[in-house]
Amino acid sequence: MSKKQSIKVQNLVKSFGSGDSRVDIIDGASFEVNKGELVALIAPSGAGKTTLLMMIGCVEEPTSGTIWLGDEKVYENKWLTKETRKIRREKIGFIFQAHYLIPFLNVIENVTLVPQTNGLSTEESEKKAMELLDYFDIGDKAHAKPSELSGGQNQRVAIARALANTPEIILADEPTAALDMERSVGVVKMLKRIAIEQNVAVIMVTHDEAMLPLCDRILKIENKKVISSVVPKGSHLL
Amino acid sequence: MINLAKKDISHTLGKFIVTAMGVGMLLGIVLIMIGVYRGMLVDAEALLKDLSVDVWVVQENTLGPFADASRVPEDLKNTLLAIDGVDKTAALTFQNIQIPTPTKPLRVVALGFDPFGDINAISKERLIKGRGLKRSHYEVVVSDNLGFELGESMNLGRNIYKVVGITHGTVSSGGDPLIYISLKDAQELQFLYSNARIRNDRARGLKGGDAHMVNTIVATIKSGYDVDKVAASIKRWKHKSVYTADEQKDILTKNLIERASKQIGLFTAILVVVSTIIIALIIYTMTLEKMKEISIMKLIGIPNSIIIKMIVQETLLLGFLAFIFGNAFSHLIYSKFPKRVVLELPDAWMLFIVVIIASILSSFIGVKKVISADPAAAIGG
Ligand SMILES: Nc1ncnc2c1ncn2[C@@H]1O[C@H](COP(=O)(O)OP(=O)(O)OP(=O)(O)O)[C@@H](O)[C@H]1O
Ligand SMILES: [Mg+2]
Repeated sequence: MSKKQSIKVQNLVKSFGSGDSRVDIIDGASFEVNKGELVALIAPSGAGKTTLLMMIGCVEEPTSGTIWLGDEKVYENKWLTKETRKIRREKIGFIFQAHYLIPFLNVIENVTLVPQTNGLSTEESEKKAMELLDYFDIGDKAHAKPSELSGGQNQRVAIARALANTPEIILADEPTAALDMERSVGVVKMLKRIAIEQNVAVIMVTHDEAMLPLCDRILKIENKKVISSVVPKGSHLL
Repeated sequence: MINLAKKDISHTLGKFIVTAMGVGMLLGIVLIMIGVYRGMLVDAEALLKDLSVDVWVVQENTLGPFADASRVPEDLKNTLLAIDGVDKTAALTFQNIQIPTPTKPLRVVALGFDPFGDINAISKERLIKGRGLKRSHYEVVVSDNLGFELGESMNLGRNIYKVVGITHGTVSSGGDPLIYISLKDAQELQFLYSNARIRNDRARGLKGGDAHMVNTIVATIKSGYDVDKVAASIKRWKHKSVYTADEQKDILTKNLIERASKQIGLFTAILVVVSTIIIALIIYTMTLEKMKEISIMKLIGIPNSIIIKMIVQETLLLGFLAFIFGNAFSHLIYSKFPKRVVLELPDAWMLFIVVIIASILSSFIGVKKVISADPAAAIGG
C-alpha cells in the first residue's frame, strides 16, 4: 500500500442471506481513496452505498475480499482483529444524515466521549473539542443539550465529534440530506477543508448532484462494482 | 472520563426518582412485614419479661397457659412452697374478654392475680398513671392504648369496675391489650357461670363451676438453686407440667407464633421476589429506551465495558435509592399499625444485601441487551 493511500479495497464481496435467498449487493469492488481526498460515493437507492461505507468502517462484516485502512490490513476474508471497535474509535470519524448525538450528554461531552475513551485527559480533550466547536461557530453552545440546538447546529456538533479523535478516515453517509442548499455547501466545503488541512481521506455518500463539483473524485456503484470517475467540470458552485 | 450513568440519570432525574420511590415503597412494605414478625416476637415475650418468674406450673400434659387451656387448683400455690428451692408463688388466670372501651368493644386479655400475694403481676416501670390493684374486688388496671382515663368505670360480667391504674406497653402474648383484675374477680368471670347456666346445669344434675381454679401457678426460685432441678422436682411431686421461663418462651415463640411467622415469611419472600422482578423489568425497559444511544455508542467505537458500567451503575443506584426510600417509608408508617411493628437494623441490612444482589442480577438483563445491540442498527430506519 502506497504512502498516499488511506483506504484500499480489493475484490470486496457482500451478500445477504444464503442459499436461494442469497442476494449479492457488492460483488468484487476494488478502489482506493487517498489521504487529503474528498470522494463522493453515488448510486441509486438500495445499491449498497451505506453497506459499503459500513464495511469500510468495520461495522458490517463483508463476505470476502480485502480492506486496508492506512497501514493496517483489517479484513481479509475475515476480520484480522477482534477489536473492530478500537479501529473505529481510533481511525474513523462517522457522520450521518441525522446527527445521532447522545441526547443525555451535552455538546462538549458528545464531542469528548471518544477521545476520552481513547485515553485523552479531560482537559486535553475539552481543549481540543472547544477548538473544533469554535471552528464550527458553536463554541457558545458547548454546554447545551442536543435537544436545545437546531438541526444544522447539531449536524456541526456531529462533524466536530467525528473529527475529535483526529481520524485518518471520515465516512459521511448523506451528511447534507437534511440541510438546505446553503448549509449543504457549507458542510461539504468544510469536509473538503478538513481533508486538506488534516490530510484525511473522506468518503461522502450523496444524492445531491450539486455537491459533486466540490469533490475531488466520484465513486459510483455500478453492476455491484465500484468505478471511479472525475467530477463534471464547470459547475457554478466552484 | 465522563460518567455516563450520572449524565443519563440527571437527564431524566424526575422519572428516575419516582421510579426509585415506587420500588422503595415496595421495599418499605417488605420491611414492615419483617417488622410485624419482630413485633410478634417482642409481644410474645413482653408479658413473660414483665412477670419475670422462673417456673410456670400448668395442667399436666398441656402447653399452658398461653398455647393450651390449663386448669390447676389455686391452693397449689401454697403446697408448692413446700418444695425445696421455691421462693415465692402466685396463682394467675388469663382470659380473653370483650370490654366496652370508650370508642368500641375491644377484645383484651385479662390477667387475674392476687393483689395481696407475693408476686405483683404489674411491673412498676409499666405503670404510668394511678396505682396497682389494692382491693380484691372491682378494680382494674388497663393498657393506655385502650383509651380509658383514671377513675372511669366499665362493665365486666355482672359488675362495674373502676379504672385505678394505667400501664404502657403491656400486651398479651398475642399482642392484644392487657387489663389486670384481681384473682377473685377473674375467677368469677372465668369459672362462674350466669344464673341461667347454673340453673340449667343443676337441672341436668351437674355441679356448679369450681371457683377455686386458676390457669397457672408461677413461682420464683431462691438464689443458689438450679431452676431446672427445682422444676423437675415440682413435676415429680405434683404431677403437673412445669416449664422454666426459657421453655415458656420457646412455647410462645415456636408453637404459638410459628405458623404466623411462616405466613409472614412466605409473604415477605413473595414480596422480595416481586420487587426483584420489578427492578429487573425497570432495568430492562430503561435499557430498551436507550437502545438507540447504545447502538450509536457502539458504532462510534465506545467499548462494551463503558456502556455496561453505565447500566450497572444505574441499576445499583436505583436499588440503593429504593432502599433508602423504603426505609424512610417504613419509618414513616410503622407507628400507624395497630399491633407492634419492630424495625431492626440487621433486617434492613439483610434487605439491603438482597436488593443489591437483585439489582446486580437485573443489570445482567441490561448487559445482555447491550452486548447483543447491533451498531449498524443505529443508522437503520
Ligand atoms: N441486514 C440486511 N439484511 C438483508 N439485506 C440488507 C441488509 N442491509 C441492507 N440490505 C440490503 O442491501 C441493499 C443495500 O442497502 P444500503 O442501505 O446499503 O443501500 P443504500 O445505497 O445506502 O440506499 P439509500 O440510498 O436508500 O440509503 C438494499 O437492497 C437493502 O435491502
Ligand atoms: Mg444509505
